Amino acid sequence: MRPLLEIKNLHVRFRTFKGELKVLNGVNMVIGEGERVGLVGETGCGKTTTMKSVLRVLPPPARISAGEIFYRGKDILRMKPGEIQNFRREISAIFQDPLTALNPVFTVGHQLHDVIKYLSKARNGKYLSREEIKARCIAVLEETGMPDSERILSNYPVQLSGGMRQRVCISEALSVAAQLLIADEPTTSLDVTIQDQILRLLARLVEEKNISIILITHAFGVVSEVTDRVYVMYAGNIVETARTEEFFSNPLHPYTHGLMNAIPKLTGEGIAKGIEGRIPNYLNPPAGCRFHPRCKHKTSICKKKKPPLFTTGDNHRVACFLYQR
Amino acid sequence: MPEKEFLVAALSKRKDDFLKRWYYFSRNPLSIVGLIVLLLIFLAAALAPYITPYPEHAGAFTNFREASLPPSLTHFFGTDSVGRDVFTRIIFGYRFSLFLVVVVLSLGVPLGIILGLVAGYYKDTWIEIAIMRITDIFLSVPPLVLALAITAMLSPNLLNQMAAVSLVWWPWYSRLVYEITTSLRQEDFVREAELIGASKTHILLREVLPNCTASILTKMTLDAGLVIIVGASLSFIGLGVQPPKPGLGTMIADGARRLPAEWWTAVFPALAIIIVILAFNFVGDGLHDMFAVEEV
Amino acid sequence: MIHLVEEMLAVKNLKKYFVTPQGTVRAVDGISFSVKGGETFGLIGESGSGKSTVAYTIVGSYHPTEGRIVFKKEDMSRESSKRSKLLKKEIQMIFQDPGSSLNPRRNIKQIIELPLKVHRISENKTRIQKVVELLKMVELPIDYLYKHPGEIGNGEKQMVAIARALATNPSLILLDEPTSALDVSIQAKIINLLIRLQKEFNLTYLFITHDLSLIRNVGSRVAIMYLGKICEIATASRLFEKPLHPYTQMLFSSIPVVSKEEKALKPEKIISKGEIPSPVNIPTGCGFHLRCPKKKDICFRKDPEMVEVEEGHTVRCHLYT
Repeated sequence: MRPLLEIKNLHVRFRTFKGELKVLNGVNMVIGEGERVGLVGETGCGKTTTMKSVLRVLPPPARISAGEIFYRGKDILRMKPGEIQNFRREISAIFQDPLTALNPVFTVGHQLHDVIKYLSKARNGKYLSREEIKARCIAVLEETGMPDSERILSNYPVQLSGGMRQRVCISEALSVAAQLLIADEPTTSLDVTIQDQILRLLARLVEEKNISIILITHAFGVVSEVTDRVYVMYAGNIVETARTEEFFSNPLHPYTHGLMNAIPKLTGEGIAKGIEGRIPNYLNPPAGCRFHPRCKHKTSICKKKKPPLFTTGDNHRVACFLYQR
Repeated sequence: MPEKEFLVAALSKRKDDFLKRWYYFSRNPLSIVGLIVLLLIFLAAALAPYITPYPEHAGAFTNFREASLPPSLTHFFGTDSVGRDVFTRIIFGYRFSLFLVVVVLSLGVPLGIILGLVAGYYKDTWIEIAIMRITDIFLSVPPLVLALAITAMLSPNLLNQMAAVSLVWWPWYSRLVYEITTSLRQEDFVREAELIGASKTHILLREVLPNCTASILTKMTLDAGLVIIVGASLSFIGLGVQPPKPGLGTMIADGARRLPAEWWTAVFPALAIIIVILAFNFVGDGLHDMFAVEEV
Repeated sequence: MIHLVEEMLAVKNLKKYFVTPQGTVRAVDGISFSVKGGETFGLIGESGSGKSTVAYTIVGSYHPTEGRIVFKKEDMSRESSKRSKLLKKEIQMIFQDPGSSLNPRRNIKQIIELPLKVHRISENKTRIQKVVELLKMVELPIDYLYKHPGEIGNGEKQMVAIARALATNPSLILLDEPTSALDVSIQAKIINLLIRLQKEFNLTYLFITHDLSLIRNVGSRVAIMYLGKICEIATASRLFEKPLHPYTQMLFSSIPVVSKEEKALKPEKIISKGEIPSPVNIPTGCGFHLRCPKKKDICFRKDPEMVEVEEGHTVRCHLYT
């Protein structure tokens, strides 16, 4: 079956006054239809840059220096403007800070109204009536478990709590997204009890509508509860990928190991040391495997060649020479 | 690490910072053009008696045989109605304009900053109310009108013009600094300084003020142009630089009567004003770009 | 160094109200707890719980509306401008947002030497040596002296904040979500550093966070806050073995966990529902009753009192009175 989204060997660079930052170094990802995929990595690893490349909203100092991104078999990096519009109608995104994602000077109802109005025109070729649009707005808010949806329509974003704002963003995104939803740290700024509600909501809606979702986060716990498959990113590369269950019972890459150990556990066995060193300087990244300066298991080949993703049983792939057959 | 090495490290960091700032400033070529033009104008004004072809024309001088001559190789911008070289007088005229800028900004800006810092820090007390209401009163009158009123009350001369314009300028800075100070009061680093026990003077001058310099400097470059216009306007209506001194506004007033026939006596001084203001503005743009990066 | 287990900090019925145009915000509404010397006392709460306000009041940014704060037997229930200089040396704070706790326009050396200057801890010449010593203590390289906060990562900013806090040789450090903004591997580094420093300098920590997994591994005793009041206090291990208050249980069941062992520890799904009410509009009776799956009639009417259910374990809930 053809995958919904396929990122192949994506290289992205940023221009700065000191030179070019070679941020993405050959990212490969595959998302199937109806799949829930987690993209995990720490700050600065390039996960948001990857997603911005998919949405084609990279800021000017950035440029895609190599690679292809296929959506339903078509390379979106080489699409013409008209085709991009159609593509954009099938994908949408929700971001970390719902307060900045919503326009503070318009009411929630106004913003939802706009989204639904132009969407239905694009999809059905005609505008819906005001009452129909309003009914759709209320319906779509209620789907996200928002209490008292009708009253919320006349509120401004600042009057709502973080969880409610995120629900508004989710309802906006879901009215647009027919096929793919990209959620970039959707719950990081929310309280843990609200985070739990939002994650369960996302999981339910994604399943009901058979949408694929890419959930980007730096929290492993979130990924383990909500996704089918996991990608781990470090310094612009995918270093490990596997099905969620397999991944958590058997993490392979030294970086992943280090991260898992560093997570404080409810079982109370203390906190491990963390990982030596710092994320690399993208101006002059390490040759070969970008993780090698921090790796306890490095060998001479790690300094010279970049490891490809090796497969180790059960669709579990690791970019590490330790697992080379 | 011995003392000398600390000094070396500090200096080399300063150099790196400067280079980075220069990179962002110079990304817009207009900023460099503006900077060069400003430097040239300042130099020319400073060295006026030595570099102008007819330095004695900058004042009471008449030569009716060479009066009202159009621009030529001997008189680049022509001569005015009493025979004085327009080019020379413009260079000398820049002296008044630039001097005004320096005086007004050196008086108005520090006063505005101090009042703004104090008002912002003591927000919600009578101190703030007093300072900001006075500021509001000054701000509610257009600067030119206010300067006009003040100069008209006193006798018209250069000194009074400078005093009047200075009085008009400080409120903009106190408002600017007040806004920044009130928003910074909630920042954790100010809280931290308070809880450590730092004095209010330290907090205002060393913690808050450095965060205002970017806005202040940018505003100063843009204000320089405004000061020049206000000064020239006052001179134009006779309340500033008095003839026979070569204030740019005074020269325009004189030349305006002779338009369009002897156009060079009004047009060149006007162009001179435009060029210096544009130069300040371009530099201001560059500064803005430079500071914008540091905020990221 | 003798490890004295004295009562370092005691908070008695502390209240802090803010008067706003929308009404009176009862951010902290009568909390009491005490912290022993050398321990790490955890204060857990989500947004709107008042935990940051507690920290700011203890440290002196706010003047308490009511109640008392006692530090080493000395009453210091007032704002910092009215406190003695000695107190300002003894109590320090690490803030949540590393981006705003360091002045972006000053360099690291100036930031760390400020407390040294204010309290005249070293002479002009030796001051820089002391700054270097502090940098070494938090494992930062010396060439960071002249860098600006914008040039270093968030984790390193927090390390600078820690170095600054240590400059005056304090006894008590309040940490307001010190690692919430950090990645997990950097969090591990900072936490390990904090633990090491605590042992080395016999520090007492008041550790505020919403991250239960973190406090499980760091705290000796823990208090859970909701809407300005404390719901439950217990030792860390006991609280996690036997959470009594329904809100505590709801918190636990919401934590995203990684391993099967942890999943087994989470209480049977007390599914989180509802939103935290606005602190301007606190419900009558028990503040939690709108979301509580185990509410009774009395919960609407009367606010429960704190009772001790077992030794060292107190709860404020009608289920246990």
